[in-house]
Amino acid sequence: MNCKELVYLLGDYLDGSMEEHLRAELDTHIEMCESCIHFRNTYDKTRIICRQVQLNEIPEEFRERLRSFVTAKGGEYSREIEKYRRMAAEDRRKQVESLLRAFREQRLSPSLTLLFDTHRDRCEKCGAFIRTLNGGEEAKHVPLEIEEHLAEFLDALPPGEEPFRA
Amino acid sequence: MHAERLLDDNILLEELRKGSSEAVEALFERFHGKIYGLAMSILKNESDAEEAAQDVFLTVFQKAHTFKGNSALYSWIYRICVNACLMRLRGKRRQETVSIEEFMPVFTEDGMHASPVGDWSKEVERKTLDKELGTVIKKFTEDLSEKYRVVFVLSDVEGLSNEETAQILGLTVPAVKSRLHRARLYLREQLSLYLREGKTA
Repeated sequence: MNCKELVYLLGDYLDGSMEEHLRAELDTHIEMCESCIHFRNTYDKTRIICRQVQLNEIPEEFRERLRSFVTAKGGEYSREIEKYRRMAAEDRRKQVESLLRAFREQRLSPSLTLLFDTHRDRCEKCGAFIRTLNGGEEAKHVPLEIEEHLAEFLDALPPGEEPFRA
Repeated sequence: MHAERLLDDNILLEELRKGSSEAVEALFERFHGKIYGLAMSILKNESDAEEAAQDVFLTVFQKAHTFKGNSALYSWIYRICVNACLMRLRGKRRQETVSIEEFMPVFTEDGMHASPVGDWSKEVERKTLDKELGTVIKKFTEDLSEKYRVVFVLSDVEGLSNEETAQILGLTVPAVKSRLHRARLYLREQLSLYLREGKTA
């Protein structure tokens, strides 16, 4: 064990998720190395003082403006709920449609391609459906159950990652 | 309606769906500070953060009926917030950020520290309530690219577990750990430089 390895493993060492024998090796190194003692102390201290940093507080003026906005929009909620439901359903339908189009045209991102392939083998209904698409057929109507599964693919994507090439 | 009942995530959402103004108020009180703070740390601009906070509440209202309760309400809302902020960032010119590589520790060929490491950890203990130090850390954090900043804010400032941060950001736990580690190495180095120079000043 050397200093470089110790620094690399320091996060696991300090949060206690490290295996016992590795920890013992690190302890042996730390006992002999003053720089590493100092490094561990200052790394740990960095972690601790950051917990005391406050997030930016919202200025009073902003808070009241945001409050009126939220109260007004929230008050409309029960009247708008049917609209929201339709919006969400419509959103999902469109997303799944463009997802399937991208699949047919082989524009899916690598992680989505992987999801599609694994899911096709695991889920009977989606499997059959996806295979008809493999034949190049245009999807006319996506059954609700399949739409739900495919929509979950999109939820599983990291924010900011594009599901497919435009 | 007892106000305490609204502390339960499911009841809060159920009441929200019924259009209860108390529930709207409770939702606002509980989350507006966190949402704004998180948005500020990602967007670094007050008016952008304000608009993002509005987006977040709108999305929460629009999607309240789709919340399945298989994650905690706050982590669902944080995720909406992160997404809203990233959408806003996408349309903007890239912000200037530091190159984190320049702050990574340097080793000799056989893996020893290239120069001796000083220990300022005890010194800071006496400074815990130092406002200046808080401001300095915030400034250093803001210089990080958003890739590291968001993970750092959720895990080390907000104190979420690596698993929760991973879920909110849609990252794997090892990816969260690795970004967090690098962000801490960067901050540790920045703090070392700051405290060393501070001493001589």
